[in-house]
Amino acid sequence: MCGIIGYTGAGRDEELSEILLNGLSSLEYRGYDSAGVAIANSTVSVYKSEGELSELERKLPPNTLEGFAGIGHTRWSTHGPPSDTNAHPHTGCDRRVAVVHNGIIENYEELRKELEANDHEFESETDTEVVPHLIEEAITQGSTPETAFRQAVHRLEGSYAVSAVVSGHDAVFATRNQSPLVLGIGDDGYFLASDVPAFLEYTDDVVYLEDGQYVSITRSGVEITDEQGTLVDMPVETVEWDAADAGKSGYDHYMLKEINEQPHALRECLRGRPRELEASIAIDELEGLKQPERVHFVSCGTSYHASRYGAKLFREQGIQTTTFLASEYDVDSIPIDEETLVVGVTQSGETADTLRALRAANSVGAETLAVTNVVGCSAARETDYVMYIRAGPEIGVAATKTFASQQVALAMLSRDLSGRCSSAFIEALRALPDQVQSILDTSHAAAVADEYVDADAYFFIGRGFDAPVALEGALKMKEITYKHAEGFPAGELKHGPLALVTERTPVFAMISGNSNIERMVGNVREVESRGAPVVAVTDVPGRIENHADHVLEIPETHGLFAPILANIQLQLVSYWVANRLGRSIDKPRNLAKSVTVE
Amino acid sequence: MSKETHMNGTAAIVLAAGEGNRLHPLTKNRPKPMLPAAAKPILEHVFDQLVDAGITEIVVVVGYKRERIQSHFGPTYRDVPLTYVTQDKQLGTGHAVLAAEAAVDGTCLVVNGDQIAASQIIRDTLEAHDADATVALLQRSSVDGYGGVLVDEERVTTIVEDPPDDREYLLNAGIYVLEPVAFDAIRAAEPRAGERLLVDGLSKLVEWGDIVRGTVSEGLWVDATYPWDLLDVSFELFDTGFIGGQSMRNVHETATVHESAVIREPIIIDRDCVIEPGAVVGPNVCLGENTTVGSNAVVERSVVDTDTRIGASATVIECVTGTGVRIGRGSTIPGGPGDVRVADRVFENETLGALLADRVHDCGGVTYVPGTLVGPRTEIQAGTTVRGTLEAETEVRS
Repeated sequence: MCGIIGYTGAGRDEELSEILLNGLSSLEYRGYDSAGVAIANSTVSVYKSEGELSELERKLPPNTLEGFAGIGHTRWSTHGPPSDTNAHPHTGCDRRVAVVHNGIIENYEELRKELEANDHEFESETDTEVVPHLIEEAITQGSTPETAFRQAVHRLEGSYAVSAVVSGHDAVFATRNQSPLVLGIGDDGYFLASDVPAFLEYTDDVVYLEDGQYVSITRSGVEITDEQGTLVDMPVETVEWDAADAGKSGYDHYMLKEINEQPHALRECLRGRPRELEASIAIDELEGLKQPERVHFVSCGTSYHASRYGAKLFREQGIQTTTFLASEYDVDSIPIDEETLVVGVTQSGETADTLRALRAANSVGAETLAVTNVVGCSAARETDYVMYIRAGPEIGVAATKTFASQQVALAMLSRDLSGRCSSAFIEALRALPDQVQSILDTSHAAAVADEYVDADAYFFIGRGFDAPVALEGALKMKEITYKHAEGFPAGELKHGPLALVTERTPVFAMISGNSNIERMVGNVREVESRGAPVVAVTDVPGRIENHADHVLEIPETHGLFAPILANIQLQLVSYWVANRLGRSIDKPRNLAKSVTVE
Repeated sequence: MSKETHMNGTAAIVLAAGEGNRLHPLTKNRPKPMLPAAAKPILEHVFDQLVDAGITEIVVVVGYKRERIQSHFGPTYRDVPLTYVTQDKQLGTGHAVLAAEAAVDGTCLVVNGDQIAASQIIRDTLEAHDADATVALLQRSSVDGYGGVLVDEERVTTIVEDPPDDREYLLNAGIYVLEPVAFDAIRAAEPRAGERLLVDGLSKLVEWGDIVRGTVSEGLWVDATYPWDLLDVSFELFDTGFIGGQSMRNVHETATVHESAVIREPIIIDRDCVIEPGAVVGPNVCLGENTTVGSNAVVERSVVDTDTRIGASATVIECVTGTGVRIGRGSTIPGGPGDVRVADRVFENETLGALLADRVHDCGGVTYVPGTLVGPRTEIQAGTTVRGTLEAETEVRS
């Protein structure tokens, strides 16, 4: 998964490299093991480098690059390790064509053999490199650059957003198939990018391109065509995100900023939806959606944990609900029909596994619903219904505020679908932003983190509604601290994991007034007797403090919401452990924000 | 210097690092600039006036509970970039200005983040600036508790905090335009009791023979010294048309008001508020975001902060609340005047029904003797009568 950017326009030439670099810096969350740019004028100049964007900036010549069209790329390796040669852009043999690509070209080995037979020489181990050679080959055969680009793309199988420049032409050519690509329309230039923040500081007018559409941008205009080459007219939409939302605003890390933004994120998620006077939930965008026979959740990672929590709320409302890891969702072996609602939970709306699962569900006639944070994302466009969680942009790779917003959104969805709600539920929902703020105001998670920064491993346990948060607590810990962490429903402890528990493995126990306190206390005593330190995250401190080394308190709430609050404490513990260990918190190794490959 | 240089591209340093001790217990979880004035933080009004005055870059000096400021405003405000500078220890206004020195270039404006001054005063000061430093002054009958300035033909001769004598001081509005030499003067001035004051830096400039201009201006200028002042600050913003312009009825579109509720102007009802049947709200009431007023409750002349719930049939008059407060069913805050006790001092006959800090929870049927102060997270059992000052995080029974 990678980020791409392209630009051409009537602006001053020296702005070109600045626009490309700014764009890449906004896309770094998509991957960051290498980066590069290509600038076309009478020749094509390529600069690329392994490592973060700052490495590339160091490599750029001191004089500002001149050119009239440019493309850039920030990479997260799928084929070939990160290195200067494997970094994009890639070029053909005579370096007249440069290409950036996001996705996977499945038939690249076959294409590569064919091109090698025609005397094309390859430099990298990437799947992408076949593209510039294919374009070069077509140009040699007499095609115009635009036709050559089309001919080359016709040969590709797999998922891709591809963008190319050719020497002597003031144009950027691009197309997409199952990978994101948006067009930005500026006052005196045009932008292409994997995601809107790449050019949001220049324009907020965008066109969301669809699979199979081709676009060419030049200094004088833009042309969008379909696969047959017929011009298509696409609507221009205005994006509401504030470009500068991407700034850290005084925090050391985006993650801490985003943790602290949670009260605000939840206010936005709730805005106008709970109706206190009628004791009901209204989700405007879901008008017409009826209570389904059964619900399948499909999702990955943190979104999967939110789905597990959501599924419990759905079942509690009498809706037959199952959760699936999107990558394991196989419509051929799972009972599914028109009465099934398949809910894809994906922050970016571009998660390849989740999109694939939703497409499969669509193909067998199920109703589909996307619960997502990004307006106009692929998931939103490909499903029957979409519910936005309205968390605002999240830059830290480790999801924090979007998890809280997903939990709250799914809680509302459960009541909206069942049509049964209570005043107590609405009141508790509306109290959440302040309760999260109260945790942020008073938490001593940093002190707990200090205590256990040298631990061998971290375990997280909880029952019922708390169980999914135990999984999420462990995921957060491993993502950003690189330490071993595991979460499980508390009852599973004695069926194996207890063998790993020692005095060097703190156990975080979620105990809320609504869960089965006696049984949780029993589990806590099991680990206590093996000498493991216990950190209780609880709204009933009086019931557990005799067995816990530390208590991280959460405000009393409707029992269903305790997991939303407990998770805030766990986020803070993980953040502070990673901080003490000096980890790259916003960009953990080997991970990227939005996983657009399967 | 030409006027253009002043008006275009001037950066403002906003001092927002201090806690505001005298506003305790409202400042337990946030600094004074984040306390509410007419349903939004004081600091937001300060930023509004700066942007209206043409400021294009704002440097915010943050310290005490800085997360609350950073998370509320983020990286820009009304398209003006915000740069945050942390002052780890609050060692005086001069120390705070020095913390921001590296973030500004050339002439800069300095304002306090906890005092609201109309953009006209800011504009006047920028336009009058042709010296090494310029101070905005206001004609007030008393400068008690504030900074006082003596001038001789617009040239400052004396500038002090809380003047000790009864000469005819002008009020220091806390708005300064500084040239880089002023930073040197602040550095050169002797700290007192470990604190560097901005006014001592300016006295040093005067001592050096540099020109410090004092320019008298007019316009709205409000400051809350004590918690109950938050009522007057909001009322003054209403009276002067400072908020909502001519409109006295400001009900956000996402708020829900039951048709049988009575709304009396002037009023602000912010986002996602809910007013239940039969409630009577106003006049002079500011309801922060996501607050709820229960059936048949009466709320008058009060500043109610975010996420607060007022129970059915409660009476809430001349009350200031923090965030997430729960006033139970049938509780009564009958309004001032009352005697308010702060530390060892008693303020007699203040207009204050009660002050409830963040997340105070009363369980209903509680009676508040006028002037009562309740500390954060204190829980008051049903049917209790409370008076005086209640500590934080306690449980109060009858």
